[in-house]
Amino acid sequence: MERTHNASEENNSLQRQERRAGHWMMVPALAVIAIITIFPIIYSVWMSLNNVSLTTNGFTMSFAGMKNYGILLKSAVFWQAVWFTFYFSIVTVAIELVLGVLISLSINGIKRLKNISMIVMLIPWALITVISAQMWSYIYNGVYGLLNYILQISQIIPAPITWLGSSSSAVIALMIADIWKTTPFVVIISLAGLQMIPVELYESAYIDGANRWQMFWRVTLPLISGSVALAGLFRILQAFGLFDLPFVLTQGGPGTSTQSLAILSQKVMFQNLSFGPGSAVAVTTVLIVLVISLAFFSVFKKMVSGDRK
Amino acid sequence: MNEPKWRTGLRYVILILFLGIILLPMIWMVITSFKPDLELGLYPPSLVPQSWTGDHYMEAFQKYNFGIYIRNSVIISVISTTLVIILSSLAAFAIALLPVRGKTIIMMALLIISMFPAVAVVTPLYMLLRTLGWLNSFQALIIPYTAFNLPFAIWILRNYFAELPKDLFEAARVDGATVLQTFYQIFVPLTRPGLFTATVFTFISTWTEFFMALVFNQSKEMRTIPVGIALFNGQFYIPYGTIFAGSIVAILPIILITIVFRKWVVSGLTSGAVKG
Repeated sequence: MERTHNASEENNSLQRQERRAGHWMMVPALAVIAIITIFPIIYSVWMSLNNVSLTTNGFTMSFAGMKNYGILLKSAVFWQAVWFTFYFSIVTVAIELVLGVLISLSINGIKRLKNISMIVMLIPWALITVISAQMWSYIYNGVYGLLNYILQISQIIPAPITWLGSSSSAVIALMIADIWKTTPFVVIISLAGLQMIPVELYESAYIDGANRWQMFWRVTLPLISGSVALAGLFRILQAFGLFDLPFVLTQGGPGTSTQSLAILSQKVMFQNLSFGPGSAVAVTTVLIVLVISLAFFSVFKKMVSGDRK
Repeated sequence: MNEPKWRTGLRYVILILFLGIILLPMIWMVITSFKPDLELGLYPPSLVPQSWTGDHYMEAFQKYNFGIYIRNSVIISVISTTLVIILSSLAAFAIALLPVRGKTIIMMALLIISMFPAVAVVTPLYMLLRTLGWLNSFQALIIPYTAFNLPFAIWILRNYFAELPKDLFEAARVDGATVLQTFYQIFVPLTRPGLFTATVFTFISTWTEFFMALVFNQSKEMRTIPVGIALFNGQFYIPYGTIFAGSIVAILPIILITIVFRKWVVSGLTSGAVKG
């Protein structure tokens, strides 16, 4: 009796010691994250409720209530940025997912060229977005761009077009650049999912007389949809920060037709130095991302508890 | 279930078309970087340079400050990546193996924080850095890059630590090893693949980051590669040849890293830890 008591006491003190060690190991990382990400987000909210002006080596604030948000809600430019960011994210991510899954289905099971395909597909992922934007701006150029040349010799267009010069074609041009960079990434995720499906499942479906179409809908799609949908969710959330591509390709133009929330907030803050309204734009972006994250709260929760394979 | 030949053939056609579409714009960039200025604005464009030149590569370094951009990016990325790996492996180990409280909440919070766009924190950080006189400095980017990449690295590493048998930990403890000794003598060597994955992802993300770099470090001497390339516009025309020459030099290191470590990159992309 005495012995077990001692042992459990020893165990407890060991546990306490380990817990203490654990806290010290976590504190540096969590402190850095809290100071550099959580605190500024909260401070953004506070700034968005103030009039902020820069002084020579600092800044001053005076409380303004909801004034900055009032300005936003009445501003057509703001609503246009919200709308553009929304539909750009949803359209590009949807196309990337569908194309990515279709391509992965077509190339799955190919025996040769595996290594080289993987290398080629990884390059756009590692490419600096700003560089791919410069690359596309040269290709889209209205006077000497490669795209015009290709379309002209294929007789699709009669004369060169200034792709970035009109709103609708500029939006499409941005979307193509985004789809070009991200589809290979979706293909990689989807291929990995396909390769995890046991062959026996197809064999038994075959024996049961299922045709290819049925196999796709009943076996393949349900088994890869989890990882692909998750990739899609993360991509949509990231797309709300859309900045690099329009900054280089269109600067938000022509007019304000390709102005994302991040571009708008950067312009308002660092070109017009209106930090109050700019913070309000930033806070709105965060709110949207937060709402989407919370809507998928259960998905995240499953990731935390469920992935201890 | 053998496929008919035409079907296999079709698969190869799709694969090659797909790889071609990925490669074509990049090949065009490489070709353009070797064309003399006079050829850059030709229409129809010359598909192969009529005369090859390496001048743009010289210009990128001599006339434009490309060497400085690369130096800045190397310093900032290497230091931030090192910090991220040290801090995240300690934290991930504690979350995976030690009896600390609030694990689930911490992991959820990290996941959601890693979703926040940079625009959420840029203004307060700008104000802070400005007040401290730290705009246009290495630490102006090293500190936020470290903070922003920690959540994802902790996620990856926690998964690797959690997959190792817990008995290892208990055995080492019974033998009298301290928690820290157990960590770096036994667990760190065993999670090498996870450390590779976290290192490659952090390095690439710091090497390619643009928004914060643009806002915090605008002065010519402190620009990183992405800022240098984005603001690389000549006075009267856009010097595409030089931009591409510099770009190619700037992406070669990360493309090589990605190719060499592709196994770990792919495992990081697909292990539920998704980051585009």
